[in-house]
Amino acid sequence: MAGQALARGLLPAKNVFEEVGVMVILTVRTLVAAARPPYPYGEELVWQFLFVLKLSWFPLVISTFALNFGAPGLQAAGILSLVGGLDRLGGFFVVIAIRWIGPVVTAVVVAGVAGTAITADLGARKIREELDALQVLGVDPVKNLVVPRFLALIVITGLLDVFAIVMGLTAGIAAELLYHQSLGGFFATLFTNATIIDLWSSVMVCTMFGAIVAVVCSYKGMSASGGAAGVGRAVNQAVVISLMAVFFFQFVVSSILFATNPELQAVR
Amino acid sequence: MIGWLEIPRSWLDSFGEIGSFGLRVAGQVYSGRVFKFFGEGVRQAGILIFGSALIIWAFCFILGLQCGLQGAYFNRSIGAPSLAGLFSAYCDLREGLPYAFGYILAAKVGTGIVAEIGAMRISDEIDALEVMGIQPVTFLCATRLLGAWIALPFLYLMGIAIIYAASYFSVVNQVGDVSSGGYLLIFWMYQSPTDLIFSLIKGVTMATVIVLVGCYYGYTASGGPVGVGTATAKSMVFNIVAVHILGMLGTLIFWGANPRAPIGG
Repeated sequence: MAGQALARGLLPAKNVFEEVGVMVILTVRTLVAAARPPYPYGEELVWQFLFVLKLSWFPLVISTFALNFGAPGLQAAGILSLVGGLDRLGGFFVVIAIRWIGPVVTAVVVAGVAGTAITADLGARKIREELDALQVLGVDPVKNLVVPRFLALIVITGLLDVFAIVMGLTAGIAAELLYHQSLGGFFATLFTNATIIDLWSSVMVCTMFGAIVAVVCSYKGMSASGGAAGVGRAVNQAVVISLMAVFFFQFVVSSILFATNPELQAVR
Repeated sequence: MIGWLEIPRSWLDSFGEIGSFGLRVAGQVYSGRVFKFFGEGVRQAGILIFGSALIIWAFCFILGLQCGLQGAYFNRSIGAPSLAGLFSAYCDLREGLPYAFGYILAAKVGTGIVAEIGAMRISDEIDALEVMGIQPVTFLCATRLLGAWIALPFLYLMGIAIIYAASYFSVVNQVGDVSSGGYLLIFWMYQSPTDLIFSLIKGVTMATVIVLVGCYYGYTASGGPVGVGTATAKSMVFNIVAVHILGMLGTLIFWGANPRAPIGG
């Protein structure tokens, strides 16, 4: 009796562990399938790359500009103008735009735009039993469908992160100009505070976000079930899990990064 | 293969429709016609609370941890670690929480609404409602908006408590440059009840837009099971950008001209 109640109480935790386990298995299978010849996914990889790029570039540009202009730009410029230190905004933007908002917003946009499209696509194929048909024909769905999406998202999140940083700094410049400040101080503190670790950690973290989004969304799409409502529900779960995983991962990685790189916190 | 300008073009196409649909739904709520289905509205509020509250709060908690961490290390790098509370106060209340709320609502509630209503549209349940003499827009969309307006402000206020606790944990316990009293002194000094009201307005505006966009894409879904998935994906794209633009406009309106900080005269 008590054991049954305990089992029922722990059921959500058990489900979470099972989901995470299945996703890790899918990640390993994807990596093995990507490395082992033959390589039939070249054309699909290029197609997916262009698809994600064409879908994501516009939401990414708008989102990063708006977020960087509002949150760090106006709020920080407001308080810095009170203490007469508007030139410090550049140093602040290294922390916010490069280390934090760049990768996170790229991941959110890619999860919301490309991840949902991947889940909807794979989920539709699963519902129409195309995946089963592929397996009967001897075509491995992981190798031919998941691997190209995985690789395309990894490459493209790293590239889009650079554009996110550029748009973020543009927003910082716009905030600086809104307060009628010359841009010399902005760039001076920006380049004094920016280190090479900031840039590569931002890009590397963002590629890992791409891997997370790709695996979660592919898994949820390939395990969709239950007719018309099933695909929609799969997209819903996929995007929630991707966002939670990305934000949690960002927290862990930035904790480790700050703790192991004291030069990031040196007073300049 | 889609073109490079596919997304902006599709928004230009559908922006007016989403606007007029949203006004229609909001009009149903404001004119009180939705109160014919008040029970359904309360049920939707209950679904929001029991289905989404924990996920919303967990997301707020993670963002609070990040706010505290980034703020603590940034303030160490400018040589003023005791001012971490300033960064946390601004990041938590003014910017972080509305965005966290918007992201997770778009992901959990927005796409959930599209999936639900879209499935009803595909299986012709909405037509059946119309045949039975029940207005589907009122019964499906306006009740969801009413439910969101009942439940979400309270979820948001609870989210504020959770994001504050997370930032406190991150700054004081994890990084530990500043004592608990020193952190809380600065933290409470740099916010006011007015800021809380402004932040709440920002969050609830985002929630309203997300629910309306979700209802629109669900209500107009077509093309079988595949169509529901596509509509869900489209609503997420629209919501992400809408959240960012509303966040920027809110900051411009509420804090753009006056940073509302206790500095100077």
